[in-house]
Order: sequence, then C-alpha cells, then structure tokens
Amino acid sequence: MTYLDSAATSLQKPTTVPHAVQSAITRMASPGRGSHQPAMLAAETLFACRQAAGELFHVENPERVVFTFNATHGLNIAIKTLVKPGDTVLITGFEHNAVTRPLSAIQAVTFKIATSPLFQPELLLQDFAEKLTPEVSTVVVTHVSNVFGYIIPVAEIAALCRERNVPLIVDASQSAGCLPVDFSGWGAAFVAMPGHKGLYGPQGTGLLLCGGDQWETLLQGGTGSVSALQKMPDFLPDRLEAGTHNVSGIAGLLAGIQFVLQKSTEKIFAHERKLTSYLVQSMKRLPAVEVFASDGMAAQAGVLSLRASSVDCEDIGAELGKRGIAVRSGLHCAPLAHNTAGTLETGTVRVSFSAFNTAQDCDRLISELRQILLHADYKM
Amino acid sequence: MVYYLIICRSLTYAQRTASVLERVGITAHIMRAPKSIVGEGCSHAVKIAERNLSNALMVLRRVEMTPNRVYISAPDGSYKEVRG
Repeated sequence: MTYLDSAATSLQKPTTVPHAVQSAITRMASPGRGSHQPAMLAAETLFACRQAAGELFHVENPERVVFTFNATHGLNIAIKTLVKPGDTVLITGFEHNAVTRPLSAIQAVTFKIATSPLFQPELLLQDFAEKLTPEVSTVVVTHVSNVFGYIIPVAEIAALCRERNVPLIVDASQSAGCLPVDFSGWGAAFVAMPGHKGLYGPQGTGLLLCGGDQWETLLQGGTGSVSALQKMPDFLPDRLEAGTHNVSGIAGLLAGIQFVLQKSTEKIFAHERKLTSYLVQSMKRLPAVEVFASDGMAAQAGVLSLRASSVDCEDIGAELGKRGIAVRSGLHCAPLAHNTAGTLETGTVRVSFSAFNTAQDCDRLISELRQILLHADYKM
Repeated sequence: MVYYLIICRSLTYAQRTASVLERVGITAHIMRAPKSIVGEGCSHAVKIAERNLSNALMVLRRVEMTPNRVYISAPDGSYKEVRG
C-alpha cells in the first residue's frame, strides 16, 4: 500500500506509538480516580503528554492542554464558548465543516468570509483586515486548508486580532506536527487539533489548547475533583474532561508527540514540502491533470489537490485504491473551500504526505495515474 | 513522621506543583487528599517532608503557585491546617 492520505489520518506511525498503546491497555487505569499504581501511571502519562504538547506548541501551563476526542470536539468547545446567538463571526473561505457546522448550529450567527485566490496570503490578509470590523465578535481560521494545503497567514491574522481585541480560534488540524503552532505567541483563545494526523497518535485523540478564563462544557460528568458539587469544576483541564480518559490513546499520542519533538517540526515540514514540490513537477507532465499548487511552494503545506478534465475525481480515487494507492477524493468535508477555489462541482483528488512518505511513493502515484488517464477518454 | 500536605484543586495542578518542587530537588509525592480535609469531595494533595515546607512555599510563590491550603499531619492521624 502506498499511503498518501495523511491529511485524513496518518497510517504509518512511529513504532513507539502502537507499543505505547498496547502497553497502556493492560497497565494503566483511570487517572485521578484511585491511589493505586495503575491509576497513578495513567496520571503520569497524561501529565507527560500535556507537558510534551506544551513544549511543542508553546503552552506554558500544562493545565491549558485539554484532551479531546478529535479536532472537531475541540472546535465545538471553542466555538460554543465564544460564539453566542446573533453574533458575527469572521472566518476564511477555506474552513472545514468542523468549523462551519458548529457555527451554523448557533442561532442567527452572521458569517463574514475573508478570502483570496488560492495561495495568495497577502490578498487574504488584506481582505481579512477589511472584514475585521467592530461587529465581529470572534475569528475562526484554519492554519492550513485541508483540501489545498494552502498555508493561511495565521501569525499575521493573530496580530490583527490582538490589535483589535477579538478572540481567535485556530483549527490546526493540518498544521500540528508539521508547521510551527505558537499558542502563546499568537495569543489565541483556542487552538484545536487532532492527535491522529501530524502528531502520529491513534484515532480518538485530540488536543484543545485553551486561553481565557471561561470555558463552555459540552459534556458534564465525573472528573475526580470537587465531587460533592453538582456543577462542573471551573478550572482546567477538569472542566472540559468529563468521564474516563482515552488513556491508551493518549499514551500513543505522547509517543507520537515525542517523535515529532525528536525529529523536529521544521524537518518534517521540509521533507513534506520536498515531496510536494517533486510531485507537482511530475504532475505537470501529465497533460490531462490540473494541479492546485502554490508558485514556488511558498504557501503550500504537504497537502495537494488535483483533478482531471474528463475523469471523475471519485473514479480516480477508487481506481488508485484498487491499485494499492490511498488518496482521498470528493469535497473533503470542506465545501466552502471548494466553493472558494471553484472546484465545488467537480471536487478534487487529494494527496497528502507524512514524515514516512518517500519520492518512490510519488513515482508510483504518477505511474498509476498516467495509466488510469491513458485508459480514460480525456479531452485536454 | 510529620509531613505536610499541599492541597490542590485537581490532579493536574498537583502534578504541576510536584513537578516544580522536584525540579529544585524537593521530593514531592502526589496522593488523593484525605476525605476529612476536603469539603467539596475528591481532590489531590502533594505530600512533602516537614523540613522542606518553607523552601517549597518559597519556590511555589516564585512561580505564582502559592497554595491556598496546607495541612500538617498529627501523630493521631488527623490533619491541622497551617495556612489559610
């Protein structure tokens, strides 16, 4: 299998990750719920994971690192904390449904959308500055488009938000582990991310980095603290972590974060960018293929979309799958991004990399894609 | 042996506290706080030796983690608050 779908879930993990998960399942109990060794071992693992995440994402206080089930879970907490009925929210034209659906579920929210042509961050920033008007109560931005790999200028957007005193939520689903995510530097209200993509942890793990001093609970339940009260604790992380943790998942996530820290975000990003650049150059030799790429890779992460003129993207994805190549086709749960880029009608085929991909994976994709297109009745 | 308990609002806060103390060489043991001294139900505490209290408080104050409540153990197994 040539796996090129890490923007959905990274499948190739550091060997330490499955080992950590397997070991935790039979050695770790419920953290904070007992004084015995398996409970304390679980507690130590959770704390070590909070500290490692704090180091990677510049969160000074590990209490502000909250475990979630995935990025969507974290985004829901963040959005429901900050956005109230009737509010006006500024987002980019490249957001995922994990942002737009929770916002749409809040009554009478007005969306303002800052946009630009693909890979034009200066124009996006300009539009963003114009639309960040006084009625905007919250800003939500993705760090990297999950469809196109377009790197959104989050640091500059964060500076604008700080200047105008508007809370910022960042969706770091495609950037955590491969781009600098600077929670304290950005001064973000929240940064949400999955554990199972660029952090190489198992599915069912995620992190929410929390600023501020008030947080809306999605779930209520046991926390192992202030148990005599019927209200949820007002302190982190307990307020947002009701119920037993996914301890084995978090043990795996810790191993994944340690891998990223050891390898370094910069090196992982450089590797993925090199592969993306190589793939773009190779794709240019395929006449029927349109590749959405940033000039000189300046605003491009390790995610790339393409489409062919006369072959449906789902057919390409299915055919590649039959040939042992895993990519993702369709709208990628981001119709807004496709609408912005003009690909809503066709969708795209998305290729995405991890630290474990090689140039040979790209060669294999190109070779199989060429075969598929040769057998298709294409027009270009 | 006499020891002190630094009461913490949560397990994670107790872990932070212990981590700060261990970093300066103060042995700190995390435990569930005795039921008799936590009115609001389950909580956690950091146990330190009697001789380390003043140094521990100084270190915690320096990192803005001054404890709200500290208890001393009595020979009969009870606890007495030493700091409000």
